Amino acid sequence: MRARLRLLPFITSAVLLLAACGGSGSAATPSAATAEDHGLIVSAASSLTDAFTDIGKEFEAWNPGVTVAFNFGPSDGLATQIEEGAPVDVFASASPTWMDSVQDDRPGVSDRADFARNRLAVIVPTDNPAGIQGIDDLANNGVQLVIAAEGVPAGDYARQIFRNAEIYQAAMANVVSNAEDDRSVVASVASGEADAGVVYVTDVTPDVTDQVALIQIPDAVNVIATYPIAVITGSEEAELAKRFVDYVLGPGQRVLADYGFLPAS
Amino acid sequence: MGVLLVALPLLGLVVRTPWTRIAEVLTNETTLTALRLSLVVATSAAAISLVTGFPLAWALARGSFRGKTLVRALVVLPLVMPPVVAGVGLLAAFGRRGLVGSWLHDWFGVQLTFTTAAAVLAATFVSLPLAVLALEAGFRGLDERLEDAASTLGASRWYVLRRVTLPLMAPQIAAAAVLSWARALGEFGATITFAGNLQGRTQTLPLAVFEKLQTDQAAAFAISMLLIAIAAAVIFALRGRFLR
Repeated sequence: MRARLRLLPFITSAVLLLAACGGSGSAATPSAATAEDHGLIVSAASSLTDAFTDIGKEFEAWNPGVTVAFNFGPSDGLATQIEEGAPVDVFASASPTWMDSVQDDRPGVSDRADFARNRLAVIVPTDNPAGIQGIDDLANNGVQLVIAAEGVPAGDYARQIFRNAEIYQAAMANVVSNAEDDRSVVASVASGEADAGVVYVTDVTPDVTDQVALIQIPDAVNVIATYPIAVITGSEEAELAKRFVDYVLGPGQRVLADYGFLPAS
Repeated sequence: MGVLLVALPLLGLVVRTPWTRIAEVLTNETTLTALRLSLVVATSAAAISLVTGFPLAWALARGSFRGKTLVRALVVLPLVMPPVVAGVGLLAAFGRRGLVGSWLHDWFGVQLTFTTAAAVLAATFVSLPLAVLALEAGFRGLDERLEDAASTLGASRWYVLRRVTLPLMAPQIAAAAVLSWARALGEFGATITFAGNLQGRTQTLPLAVFEKLQTDQAAAFAISMLLIAIAAAVIFALRGRFLR
């Protein structure tokens, strides 16, 4: 028993050390830490990965001592984390539904505004093994189709487009996997495992342009996704969080446009 | 403190589980489909792990050959590597453009990715080490003189295996089966990466928990409780091994 107790300080310090290591990725390095330093945690839809990473760097450059840590994922999953009490300062969702959920349930939001819109598109591997030419071809027999899961905005939008195009039954029968989010769909198509996927136009980033070809969906059946952003109630950096939201609505718009997002209105 | 670390999440699950609705949630179509698929996948994976692990464990316990240490390290590696990495590796090997997968696809028109077979392969990959380790311990604990005695009395190698080795190793074989089955049942990372997530085909119980957490939390907690009950049953079955 005594031998075990003597191990306790060691274990405790090991745990603390691990915690410190884990934190250093999101906060400033310990050596640079001063009383002036502030950290912001932003949970954002996966489709915003590239644009928000750039915006975060700009925001940090304009605000010395501020570090922005991003938590990218499917909006439904991010909303669940926030509702379960994750210490998030800003939430940027790929659909109003999940922002509504955080706003109406707990913990609530402030300074909510729509900051971007996005169109959806069909993507195929560059060698296009299934010979997909347009949205209707997703209903063809034997097409291996990957979309995001139900509840994930990109997944719900894809299902809506299938309904609009009146190919819902046939297209859903071709779905071989319900991916975690839009970026997982891109990965499946880019690696050639799937014949086609439905994602946001902006998901075809420079990283994947040589592996993935984009096929536009006609406006008549397409869905336009609206992205809201807000400060999470209870944020310990509410003032800074508000400044970040303003930055996204202001100078950040140029970055979003560069990545192919449409303006909010 | 260690006990709390383990007990608190379990307590959290118990508190949040919708006990009044648990029967309804556990018998809905999504859960039953995932349960059926999980049983098929885990049982297949455990069977393959036993059959392929048996000769491997024998070689590791009894054999003396060059590179034995390397083989053992290789076999145990899936135990400690991140399952998602296993999934990426399986894609690189068996994916449509993978080392073996491209060949399977071009010559036989076989695609493993996004199939139940892929889920079984992923589960086998992570459960094989447990089977091999348990079986190897069994071979080591076995008194070789009993097998030798049977041989000198004229028994064929097959007869010795069937009537001496296998019965003597029955407890270890059972342990190997239960351990690899339980590990296969819980497999998530390699499965979602390599096999994808489709109800009735690759959506096993852990994948169902992951998806339900976003859309139907009551179901996620109920299925989690079911998986814990199964895990507890496994510990009970192997109490001689874990609870000494």
